[in-house]
Amino acid sequence: MPEQRIVSPEFMFNEAAREEQFITGSEAVREAIKRANVDMAISYPITPQSESMHLVGDIYAEGYIKEYYRGENEFAVMSSVAGAAMGGVRVFTATGGPGTMRALEMFPTWAGARLPIVCAFFTRGINSPLTIQPDTIEMAHLLDTGMIMLHAEDAQDLYDMILKAFIIAEQTEVHLPVGVFADGFFVTHTRDKVRVCPVDIKLPAYLPYSAPVPVMDMENVPIRQMRDPFVMKSNYVSYAAHASWQQEVMAAAERARPFIHKYLGGLVEVENPAADILLLAGGTAVCQSREAMVMAREEGIEVGLIKLKSVRPFPGDELRALTAKAKAVIVPEFNRVGWLSREVRNVVEHPDRIVAGPRVFGGMTMPPDLIMAEIRRYARE
Amino acid sequence: MSKQMLKMTSAFADVMPAEYAELVQSGPFGKGYGVADLGSFKELIEEHPLCAGCGLALAMRLIMASLPTPEDTVVVGSTGCSSLAFPQIALHNIHSLFGNQNAVASGLKRALKLRFPDKHKDVLVIAGDGATADIGLDMVMHSWFRGENIATIMLDNEAYANTGGQESGMSPEGCVLNMAPTGKKFKKIALPEIAREAGCAYVASVTPVQPRKLEKAVRRAILVAREVGPTYLQIFVPCPTNYKFKPQETLAKAKQKEKDQTYPLREFITPEAQAFLSALEGGRKHD
Amino acid sequence: MSQYRVMAGPEGYLPPAAACQGVTLPEVGWALVEGRHVPEQEALSAIVDKLLNAKRPFFFPGPNLLWEWKEGVAAKANALRKLADTAGARVIPMPDYRPKYPMINPAIEINPNHPNLTIWHNKIDVCVFAGVHCHYANVALKIIRGGTDCYTIAICGEAGHEDANISLRNAGIPQIEALTAMVAERRRLS
Repeated sequence: MPEQRIVSPEFMFNEAAREEQFITGSEAVREAIKRANVDMAISYPITPQSESMHLVGDIYAEGYIKEYYRGENEFAVMSSVAGAAMGGVRVFTATGGPGTMRALEMFPTWAGARLPIVCAFFTRGINSPLTIQPDTIEMAHLLDTGMIMLHAEDAQDLYDMILKAFIIAEQTEVHLPVGVFADGFFVTHTRDKVRVCPVDIKLPAYLPYSAPVPVMDMENVPIRQMRDPFVMKSNYVSYAAHASWQQEVMAAAERARPFIHKYLGGLVEVENPAADILLLAGGTAVCQSREAMVMAREEGIEVGLIKLKSVRPFPGDELRALTAKAKAVIVPEFNRVGWLSREVRNVVEHPDRIVAGPRVFGGMTMPPDLIMAEIRRYARE
Repeated sequence: MSKQMLKMTSAFADVMPAEYAELVQSGPFGKGYGVADLGSFKELIEEHPLCAGCGLALAMRLIMASLPTPEDTVVVGSTGCSSLAFPQIALHNIHSLFGNQNAVASGLKRALKLRFPDKHKDVLVIAGDGATADIGLDMVMHSWFRGENIATIMLDNEAYANTGGQESGMSPEGCVLNMAPTGKKFKKIALPEIAREAGCAYVASVTPVQPRKLEKAVRRAILVAREVGPTYLQIFVPCPTNYKFKPQETLAKAKQKEKDQTYPLREFITPEAQAFLSALEGGRKHD
Repeated sequence: MSQYRVMAGPEGYLPPAAACQGVTLPEVGWALVEGRHVPEQEALSAIVDKLLNAKRPFFFPGPNLLWEWKEGVAAKANALRKLADTAGARVIPMPDYRPKYPMINPAIEINPNHPNLTIWHNKIDVCVFAGVHCHYANVALKIIRGGTDCYTIAICGEAGHEDANISLRNAGIPQIEALTAMVAERRRLS
């Protein structure tokens, strides 16, 4: 068993000294979980997520996690993770692409059952046809599951967000699953500089009785407790009971906002917000946007950047304010449907200013030139 | 379960509903009651909305009365008729979705083992035939392959009863049911045999006709799961509503199928489980 | 977003969750009164006002205060009962959260799946929740605000409840005893 002492989340995130490592996103997952005081992890192979969970298995063998096994399919793994969470332990798992789709019924189940599970999603294309390469379309399918969704730009974000996800998820008034999303391959398989805190510290343990619902262990009350029964309009149950439960799940995500501010520094990050032309993106589209900003500056065009860190809850108020004076808001995305530009159009004034693209998908890279083309077009107008 | 959990606070004991006072005074927690004591103690099931003559409801009451340590038992159920009774049961229980009950139970069991390493926390799966043999078959079998310390009980009414009586894998061949208008085209799944081959240490198939026999099977399934390996118990629970016979005929139906072997009773015990059971039951008379 | 006020209902068919209308939970030492953050002392005063002016006030203790399942529960339960008695309020428990068949007995219990039955049956105009798991308290509070005109007060040991008309947070024996003292004092003076 490795020697680790428990520190407060604030100490770990803000004060602890950090050392720079040159590691892949998968290795960043390992480093995060090593320090996260996770009780149990359950895995299932799917590219590009497998390496992350191999490494989580390796650190289980080293004693950083108390229980780990490989399940038989993603729906089974996400079910087992739910059972473990209901039993009162801190759990971690990961999936992506078709794996996400396989397990899809479990995600609204996790949210409705108020389970503070942290799941990493390494996004990849959805069949048919098959591609193992990056695509963020699965995030569109998860937007209304009730899960909290954080989008990592790079391996540093991935490391930080996984650790912070546990703390945000486990707040009594939140107590929801958190998905930490990162683009497959671009993040998981490339090496990057990641600053990590010492390995001899770890987060405080999960306190199961701080949950807003009873724990399934026959050690807390009430005894007549089923998680979760049929709650259906009938003579016996109010027509509003199921609806009110759904509303409570939405409310719980709203309550995560102050914690996302506290631990992540906000739902968005901004650079040069006064510019006429803004780039708005999440994930590695942010990296490409940064490249485009440099190119634009060389051509004398001032461009701002809004990096979206939290997709759910969605930073509606922030985006409305930040985009109020912009001439154009360009939303580059790694998916066919433009789910992010749809979300943005929904909240801003004069949504005709939102440029829904450029978009690439099915594993394509996004050359910054594509973004530059949009920037030049709107700079000219 | 700590004894304190069954102690009402004196501040509010005077306003607690009778069902809870009864649970405290004459409930089965920590008392070691069995089926023979039925009628003399407060059962775990407070009420249920299941049909008159429901074989499943009878089996549930008998199972609950047979639990070796109800005070430290958590059940994982699945969608179906039984999930309408489970909210009313004085045990912590989880409604999985449908078919994933053994996966949920696997995670739960391992979590409870971590949190309570010095205590027995029995995790019991109770689900219908649709949930166990059809939609959940792969997850049920993988929990057996992995050797999870879980007892799986199937309440076999040979149909998807809760959704209006559709054919399930456990329906007999030739039987006319919804979605099988010209009769089921393949044989009833031999799940006890599959369980034996899949690594279960104890397997049995029973009916509620002989309550003491059912009790013995339940206890064996749970105790062997505690110490030896996964167990599977299949209980035939006729459904008057979907098989269209009178509610008062339920037990007669079960008795008939036992007698003519159309619902063959059997028991498979591995040598390791047998050694464990002999040590446990040795010297004590059971019928 | 304009300020959403969390007033007593009936708000209608399906009132929104207050948290989705911009109402946020207060910091420690603060409380919520009708959707606004106020210093805890002000909320304590408001609670006393409501209790003393209520025609039919009721307390709804939940499982966390009905069973001595861990250290400290008995003392907190005693303090809450004393408050109810001092305020002249009756007590109906929420013994569990399960959907009951055929229906609950609204004279003797309240349940988060149909709390309005208990409110209507007993003609409750002011109620106090304590010791209920937060998720179920929130579900109950919304249904009450939707379909009844009952004023709701939550004495919450965790982060508080936006859907209650008045909510304390991190409330324990000190707050409960302070309320009891204030109620007793006002009664003495009146």
